[in-house]
Amino acid sequence: MSTALAPAPAQAQPHAVLTVSGLRAYYRTSLFGINREVRAVDDISLEVAANEIYGIAGESSSGKSTLIRTIAAATKPPLEVISGSVQFSFGDRDVNILRARPRELDAMRWRNLSYIMQGSMNVLNPVRRVQQTFVDFAFRHLGQTMPEFLRLVRDHLARLHLEPDVLEAFPHQLSGGMRQRVTIALATICRPEFIIADEPTTALDVVVQKGVLAMIHAVQRELGSSIIFVTHDMAVHANLTDRLGIMYAGRLVEEGRTFDIFGAPRHPYTAHLIASLPRLGDTAPKPALPGTPPNLAEPPAGCRFHPRCPLAHARCRREVPEMEWVAPGHRVACFAATPERAA
Amino acid sequence: MWTVLRDLLRHNRQFAVGVVLLAVVIGFAALSLVSPYPPNDSFVVPPDVPPSLAYPMGTTSRGQDVFWLLTFSIRNTLLFGITVAVLSRLLALTIGLVAGYSGGLIDRALMSLNDTFIVIPLFPILVLFYFVMRDHMSWGLLALMMACLGWAYDARLIRSMAMSLRQREFTDTAIFSGMSMRQILIGEHLPYVLPIVFSTTMNNINWSIGLEVTLSVLGFTDINTPTIGVLIYWANQHTAMVAGIWWWILFPVLLVVITFVGLFLLAVSMNEHIDPRSRLGRIT
Repeated sequence: MSTALAPAPAQAQPHAVLTVSGLRAYYRTSLFGINREVRAVDDISLEVAANEIYGIAGESSSGKSTLIRTIAAATKPPLEVISGSVQFSFGDRDVNILRARPRELDAMRWRNLSYIMQGSMNVLNPVRRVQQTFVDFAFRHLGQTMPEFLRLVRDHLARLHLEPDVLEAFPHQLSGGMRQRVTIALATICRPEFIIADEPTTALDVVVQKGVLAMIHAVQRELGSSIIFVTHDMAVHANLTDRLGIMYAGRLVEEGRTFDIFGAPRHPYTAHLIASLPRLGDTAPKPALPGTPPNLAEPPAGCRFHPRCPLAHARCRREVPEMEWVAPGHRVACFAATPERAA
Repeated sequence: MWTVLRDLLRHNRQFAVGVVLLAVVIGFAALSLVSPYPPNDSFVVPPDVPPSLAYPMGTTSRGQDVFWLLTFSIRNTLLFGITVAVLSRLLALTIGLVAGYSGGLIDRALMSLNDTFIVIPLFPILVLFYFVMRDHMSWGLLALMMACLGWAYDARLIRSMAMSLRQREFTDTAIFSGMSMRQILIGEHLPYVLPIVFSTTMNNINWSIGLEVTLSVLGFTDINTPTIGVLIYWANQHTAMVAGIWWWILFPVLLVVITFVGLFLLAVSMNEHIDPRSRLGRIT
């Protein structure tokens, strides 16, 4: 049977599938009377429209994984959500996932919202055949009979250029790229409206990575889902994402259409990230940004980027810049980038 | 399943030897079904006859045929070992997996219980148990008691595996996909710990048979149910070694040693097979 998928919904009026507002999530630890609070996600607001790939970029320890773990409501101690809301709207339902009851969460997860975990090479149980993993994770959510379900799985695997044989294999018998594709198949089998992907291609070489990215893109277009795609690899963002949010030290510093951001980055940090990409024929050495990301337990006052920022001035050390619109669909949190307002 | 067994028999010498030894033992135990004498009748044959064609393993001073008596004894001993192993495995798996998965308070409560059982001195407890129960002592009660005492080490082992499994991405994904704790433990974690459990099951059978023999030889069990230990106990009561009735002791000891070796070889080779990674190593 060839599954004729419904055409992707037109992008006429993109309504926000995900609305995050004022989200703060801190790691709170208390050991031997010493309390530490690591502000990994601090006051983040963003929207993801239907049928859109939203990229989140930033260096390691900038809070990317924490942000999406919070968005998926997959937090466990010591990570705590301090304030803010994460609103999903699936079809006619609006759910604040941070306040949802466990029953609602279970009904929603995998069916509407799936998650490709970081290190997704290890998402497959090493002692279960791939088919059993599919049955364990997805069978309940689809409400079909077992033969129907297995046929669906085989069709879906074919879409990702996988032979049905992989269902009989153990994960260690598959190559890294195949395992990656199986994981993606697992996350998309229920045709969720929303997919959260945490560095799904990091462990792959560039050739396999390119194939996997193309596949993610194709599946996303076919299912019409929205994706939040996290990676520190700017080249991947340039190729895959529609819109891009740049995170630095737990805060969103710039957000806009990927094309605009790569064309004209407003935030000095974004500019550095993009300047670090190699270009054909460019033999000039790439200067590293001096300094290290701040300790999120004691972030610097004012703008968190000011100790490393070439454009920093007195105000940056005192006040925290808010996200300001600098162009339609383009926001940035930097006094230097919005001089007319800063003055 | 059958092809797997056939391949194992053909290519794994440890497995083949183990299977042959256990088949001998089990076949021997099965002979108890066609025994011409009930196990507890005495003076049905002339006493103290050395091994001969008529009595292949000789006869005891109580006028029993060692061969037929041994078939009953080994059957009861095997059943005892298996019962203890199955019961204690259930306890160890449940407690180990739940403690490792849940963590926190549940883990601490279960593990303090577990540690209590680890430090309890087994042998005095079992002797004490015999003196408390006396005439009510039976095979089943002892098996239950030993199962309750024999799970603790393995529960700790399983817990340590479960703790590491808890941190794996596939567990996170399973939780995220909405599987309940019971489904995750049975579906995802149990297959992972099964090889090691299988191996420890064999060891546990060996341990319980050994302990049962020890207790029986000293007379701290129900001495009216024939087991290997009880057989040796009665041999000692009749000073068989002093009287030169060596066959009364030799054959039970030989049989129980064969059982031990067979179970051990089976444990080692099956473990190698159940673990899919080492199975792959063998293919390539």
